[in-house]
Amino acid sequence: MSKRLPIHAPKAAADQPAIWRSITDKNHPEAVARAADSEGEITGASKSLVALKAKAEVVQAAKAKVGRRGFLATSGTAAAVGLSGCIRRPVDHILPHSRGPEYALPGIPLHFATSVTHGGEGFGLLVESHEGRPTKIEGNRDHPSSQGATDARLQGMILDLYDPDRSAHPQQGETESTWADFDGWWRDKAAELGQGAGLRVLVRPSDSPSHHRARQAFQQRFPAASIHEWDAVSYSPYFQGSKLAFGTSFETRYDFARAKRVVSIDCDFLGSEPGTVRNARGFAEQRGLERPTVDMNRLYVVESTMSLTGMNADHRLRLAPSQVDRYLRALAVKLGENGVDLPEALQTAVRGTSTDGFSESWLDGVAKDLVHNRRPGDSSAGIDPDTASNRANDRTRSVIVVGWRQPPHVHALAHALNAALGCIPGCVALYPAYNDGEQSHVESLTELTEAMQGGSVDTLIILDGNPVYDAPSDIGFAEALASVDNTVHLSTRVDETSTVCSWHLPLAMELESWGDHRSIEGALSIQQPLIAPLRGGRSAAEVLAMVGGIRSWRGYHLVRGTLRETIGARGFDRSWRRGLHRGVVVSPRVRPANPPVNGGAVAAALTENAVSAATPFEVSFIASYQTWDGRQGNNSWMLEMPDPVTKLVWDNAAYISPATAEALGIAPPDAPPGFLPQTMEALRQGALLNISRDGVESITVPAYVLPGHPDNVVTLPLGFGRTRAGRYGNDVGVDVNPFRTGDALGFASGVTVTLADGRGELVVTQAHHSMVGRPLAIDATLEQYRETPTFPQWRTDEREATPSPSLGPLWTQEDYSQPRVPARGGTSYQPYPEERTAREGASARYKWGFVVDLSRCTGCSACIIACQSENNVAVVGKQQVALGREMHWMRLDRYFVGDDLADPRVAVQPVGCQHCEEAPCENVCPVAATAHSPEGLNDMAYNRCIGTRYCMNNCPYKVRRFNFLDYQGVVPELERMQFNPNVTVRMRGVMEKCSYCVQRIQYARIQARRDTTVDSEGEITERRIGPDDLQSACAQACPSQAITFGDLNDTRSPVHRRAHMDRNYKLLAFIGTQPRTSYLGKIRNPNSEMV
Amino acid sequence: MQIFPKSLNYLPLVAAMAAAVGGGVATFVVAYYFSPNFLYVGYEPEQPVPYSHRLHAGQMGMDCRYCHANVERSYEAMVPPTQTCMGCHSIVAPESARLEPVRESWETGEPIEWVRVHKLADHAYFDHSVHLAGGIGCVSCHGRVDRMEVVRIDQPLSMGWCLDCHRDPEENIRPLSRLTDMDWTREDATAEEQAEMDGLLARAVPPENCSGCHR
Repeated sequence: MSKRLPIHAPKAAADQPAIWRSITDKNHPEAVARAADSEGEITGASKSLVALKAKAEVVQAAKAKVGRRGFLATSGTAAAVGLSGCIRRPVDHILPHSRGPEYALPGIPLHFATSVTHGGEGFGLLVESHEGRPTKIEGNRDHPSSQGATDARLQGMILDLYDPDRSAHPQQGETESTWADFDGWWRDKAAELGQGAGLRVLVRPSDSPSHHRARQAFQQRFPAASIHEWDAVSYSPYFQGSKLAFGTSFETRYDFARAKRVVSIDCDFLGSEPGTVRNARGFAEQRGLERPTVDMNRLYVVESTMSLTGMNADHRLRLAPSQVDRYLRALAVKLGENGVDLPEALQTAVRGTSTDGFSESWLDGVAKDLVHNRRPGDSSAGIDPDTASNRANDRTRSVIVVGWRQPPHVHALAHALNAALGCIPGCVALYPAYNDGEQSHVESLTELTEAMQGGSVDTLIILDGNPVYDAPSDIGFAEALASVDNTVHLSTRVDETSTVCSWHLPLAMELESWGDHRSIEGALSIQQPLIAPLRGGRSAAEVLAMVGGIRSWRGYHLVRGTLRETIGARGFDRSWRRGLHRGVVVSPRVRPANPPVNGGAVAAALTENAVSAATPFEVSFIASYQTWDGRQGNNSWMLEMPDPVTKLVWDNAAYISPATAEALGIAPPDAPPGFLPQTMEALRQGALLNISRDGVESITVPAYVLPGHPDNVVTLPLGFGRTRAGRYGNDVGVDVNPFRTGDALGFASGVTVTLADGRGELVVTQAHHSMVGRPLAIDATLEQYRETPTFPQWRTDEREATPSPSLGPLWTQEDYSQPRVPARGGTSYQPYPEERTAREGASARYKWGFVVDLSRCTGCSACIIACQSENNVAVVGKQQVALGREMHWMRLDRYFVGDDLADPRVAVQPVGCQHCEEAPCENVCPVAATAHSPEGLNDMAYNRCIGTRYCMNNCPYKVRRFNFLDYQGVVPELERMQFNPNVTVRMRGVMEKCSYCVQRIQYARIQARRDTTVDSEGEITERRIGPDDLQSACAQACPSQAITFGDLNDTRSPVHRRAHMDRNYKLLAFIGTQPRTSYLGKIRNPNSEMV
Repeated sequence: MQIFPKSLNYLPLVAAMAAAVGGGVATFVVAYYFSPNFLYVGYEPEQPVPYSHRLHAGQMGMDCRYCHANVERSYEAMVPPTQTCMGCHSIVAPESARLEPVRESWETGEPIEWVRVHKLADHAYFDHSVHLAGGIGCVSCHGRVDRMEVVRIDQPLSMGWCLDCHRDPEENIRPLSRLTDMDWTREDATAEEQAEMDGLLARAVPPENCSGCHR
């Protein structure tokens, strides 16, 4: 008979919608309940189901076979070595500099401002460098596109730098070469080329002024040559769309902080469109309500897949990609009917658009809502009109955004509608673009390929990019490339394209070369190298400038030259130094343009591109959240980061809806008695699909059944299935580029999908670390919030109704608002003499706390990678993840909410160690390896841990991670340069978990202690750690500011404010663990007329 | 018929005594010889340059912070770059044979390979700056370096030894003006210095929890 008294978990409220993690969870609630009761008896089936595939070296340790002789030999040697170590530790050396570098203090990291290209614009960064070794990327607060935050891909960039598979020297054919050889070769070649008739250059689109200066120089030197642009995730529809609408091409920046109603037309503006970081920041600004009286924005998403943005929608319409266009036309008609003044030609063009399949609420309801918000604040009663966010503004705050998958005329229509709604300029700001919108990227690449096929290309220089891998399959780029005599490819590694080219040149990455960038609104920033090129490469701009005959083509001189032209020679050096320091040289002074819409041109384009009927199957191509278009394809952090939507790791898959799965005949086998939900889920996913289309090679992709996905649509993520990415990325997932054609870059119609034999091995993390059916991620609508501001507590904390745990705490409870007790007496044997009391007048101790606003959190996963980068978190490989052994300290749970399998709502919840004041893990540790600090941190002493894993089992939040194997021991030497020297690298057999970034806390504390002064009278002037002195890595990276961390005893701190907000709640509050981490309930803002 | 001699009757007693003595000896051996006190104290490796702290810090009275300039600002006290040596030795004893490695380092730019004397375990994150700010002087941990011809370990630098001071730092606190003064003792304190020490002690809350030193 157990002595443990029962804990009465509150039952979910009757009116609470179902919350489920996977389709099996939803269809088989009894299995979930059984798993909850028994803690799940793991049958062998759940492991054997996923035929496990070893992943590169990470799992080699698992496979090491040691025979008897080997064992004896090793143990003998180990004993000898061990005993010799008893005498004296090995001799260690200290190597000081011969001449000390300026500023460098050994042991203290330096931070340098730099910038990179991200989302088509310059992005300001602050990079931490330890003794000349960059280790961590942060956003630059002074830069408009960052505002201090980053996203997952930027966080992962630091690992790209230390990629062990980067090439270290130029290569001519198969033979090793040098840069001097190449320079010599090019000198001869350039003389031979004359005017450059046979010379072509292929570049990636760039926001760098120096890049564009080098292009001009190149064009002057070789007037007959031409430059082409290609990018697999091409933003050219934006430029062509704005050119169509306004006659000139513009960059578009949306101000989501002001937009009250947002209609997203297949636009993943929070995940994979330009400016995701600033978009998320602005969007979240209105989601994180501080009190019920504040107004909130509303997001309508019409999309052809399930995206990060779709997960955050208040209303979501699932459509085939070809029908998205039709929806926007139908909406235009409705807007016209509701009094929006559209150009006459446009009205004629959209008149009569079929509204098949669109409900009246999605047309009239949305149109009315958009028009209604011309004057914000009057939409509902009880709005406080004086708050800053509600201040009256006679511009419309409704905005329609369109994504890169949709063709230019849809973008043009949206521009016309935005102009008619009156939000240009306003929520939509237009800025001049480098790209003139004349030619799309695919047209440019096709032109190049045709020239190559025609034999008119003698020399092709490819600067960065991997077109052999990612070019559309129908234009035959790879074959044409092979026919060119002289091909030069500049890239980080010998990749798919390099192997076909006659020259391969190593590329210097952005963190190791000079450059410059321009943000959309015109902020110029310098790209300052953090380290000399690790592999001796050159940047794309450098090579272009050298080829273009600029005499001082070296990055530093090139950038200074460009900048001198822009800002003038007067006071240049001062501006340069200030720019290096701040990260921004010129703050934007460009005013957004306000061009008139050419209604006739848009109307003509709409008429020309009539909407065709939906075909049974259509394919949407998305950029992978993990590898993008494959450029981060060898980044083990990114490959192991669970996809924010599907929670897939180390793979891509064809996403289909449950209804489509059923129609295709994908059904899990009959549920055996006693099965586990995750077992069934593994059976459901991974059926192979054969996807074919006329004139294109068919591909076979494992299916992932995704609730909320549009029916009869298949989503294929780019960026996987690479063959020459490197040791981690080779043969991971399926390459879908062979299925992508030039006329269908975003989506393809007329596709046939059939079920093929066999299964793919998909590993999904959402089924891991189950917290079985308890109310965790809690959400409510805005109305419910206004009615009951404390709604999350109302659902979880039913202490009156149910008896609370009647066992008292195991030890005396600390009062964390009191000052810390100082050291007075005591020895190792008698540590706590009774007379220890705090000094009179001492201020309260720090009480570290952590609040996550679920309403702000978009689920973008930046926190996961930021944590990995800061805390040396190991990558374990696909096989180990399949066994539930992922090491991420921060996990992002994704729950589906609601009863509709086809169209659920989504809630995401970041969960790390909750730092319980009454921590269950501490009670069960036999060696006190995990213990409490006086400030309430749940400390983990790795060197004490003996690996019993009791703590892991006793943790109600399932946040402890165990090093089953020596994951970090097999990390290559070069990659180890990324390790944070202030965090212990954990070995095999050791438990670890979120530490609240204790190394940052200690650093801030030491700084504060040093500033605390004692004068000759013994008077103490104390400096405390303020909110600006300290942030955890996840909070610092978070683009939507969903995470706050700080001192709960400090009433000025944001974390204190959020911890005392009405919608604050703690996970599993009823079990009495008193966690320091708390959550703010998620609020949705559905349109009451559409529910 | 007696198979075993009578003297064997004492066997259990002798065995018990031997076990007791042997156990005692074993305990002593482990406690004494396996301790940092025996293993580390007195470690005195030969350095590539026969640098004498006794000459520089003792006889000439140079402040510790002339070379270990970082000690108040960083985790590391830092061994100075060759530049610091050459600051004087380009004029003082510029031809000395014993300074050959220093000149070589200065000319080639290669570092001098000093042998590390005070080495803590990798998972212990010791910070010099905060100890100095709290009034803990050099001599408390490093001993009378000003009397050492070759630097040796003076204290065990074990976790228990650290904690003894973290639990009762009073004896090791000195005024901030006396941090590097190795001759000074608490008995020499003036009234003002005593007041300052009292303030420093009142402020001292050295960590005794795991994450104070282990991260």
